[in-house]
Amino acid sequence: MNITINGKNFNVNENSSLYDILEKNHLNSSNIVIEINQEIISKNLWGETKVNKNDKIEIITAVGGG
Amino acid sequence: MSLIIGKRKYSSRLIIGSGKYKDYKQTKDALDASGAEMITVAIKRTNIGQDSRQKNLLDYIDSTKYKILPNTAGCYSAEDAIRVALLAKELLNDNLIKLEVLKDKETLLPNEEETLLAAKELANLGFSLMVYTTDNIGLAKELEKVGCVSVMPLASPIGSGKGLTNRDNLKKIIKNSNVPIIVDAGIGTASDATIAMELGCDGVLLNSAIAMSDNPILMAEAMKHAVISGRKAYVAKRMKVSEVAISTSNKTDAIS
Repeated sequence: MNITINGKNFNVNENSSLYDILEKNHLNSSNIVIEINQEIISKNLWGETKVNKNDKIEIITAVGGG
Repeated sequence: MSLIIGKRKYSSRLIIGSGKYKDYKQTKDALDASGAEMITVAIKRTNIGQDSRQKNLLDYIDSTKYKILPNTAGCYSAEDAIRVALLAKELLNDNLIKLEVLKDKETLLPNEEETLLAAKELANLGFSLMVYTTDNIGLAKELEKVGCVSVMPLASPIGSGKGLTNRDNLKKIIKNSNVPIIVDAGIGTASDATIAMELGCDGVLLNSAIAMSDNPILMAEAMKHAVISGRKAYVAKRMKVSEVAISTSNKTDAIS
């Protein structure tokens, strides 16, 4: 099924959890925050939170800025 | 002589940004050389597809030693800034935020209405706010009234390095304020930082002046001393200006 991660289209397996998505995309799970459809999902819920078709996921971190 | 923001004391009155450096190692080295105890970061999307072993900016900043100040850079509405502030709080487990709501991409000047709106909402949500603003004297007071822990007027536009183009307004803001006033944006070189401190600013926040110099580590050291010098001169109070020359040498017992 199709979802959006950081504005890009991704095809993921149905029933994927947020952790599954991080693992599949080789994303480090430290120093990030995740939003699904503009709602922040706490890290302790990443394992049990499944994504749905057309979800808009944002994976956010800290970068250089003034 | 320490700077108090919220409930925390800082012995350095310099805050530096983490943008525009060659790499994270240089960011860290400049931070160490500057003597600053607070560093700003931006809250943005991760770069998907990068090597997962690649280090993150936060891996380079020792959060037990330095206070990390996340900003809401890139926001043009109160709504967006509030969203970013909530993400930053989740990421860093802290309610301190540099609120920055801009008017447009060309001038990068603060959007006064949206900044005040976001400040009110975020203060109600329990955030500790350091707010980037214009040199509008009335707005600075409004931001203090809604509970901001520091008001941060610009000296000149972001990244311009033009120095202090608005000394009279800054002086009035400082005089009227009961919270620390930190000049944020526009500092170009060490003397600009010193002048800001001599005016009575409580601190200086700068980024490009260090990162875009030819030697960021040396400029970080220069800024450290510039801020200390300016503060000491402000506390010591400068001599009165005289229209005529006044001899410095003792006039008695002159050989004539």
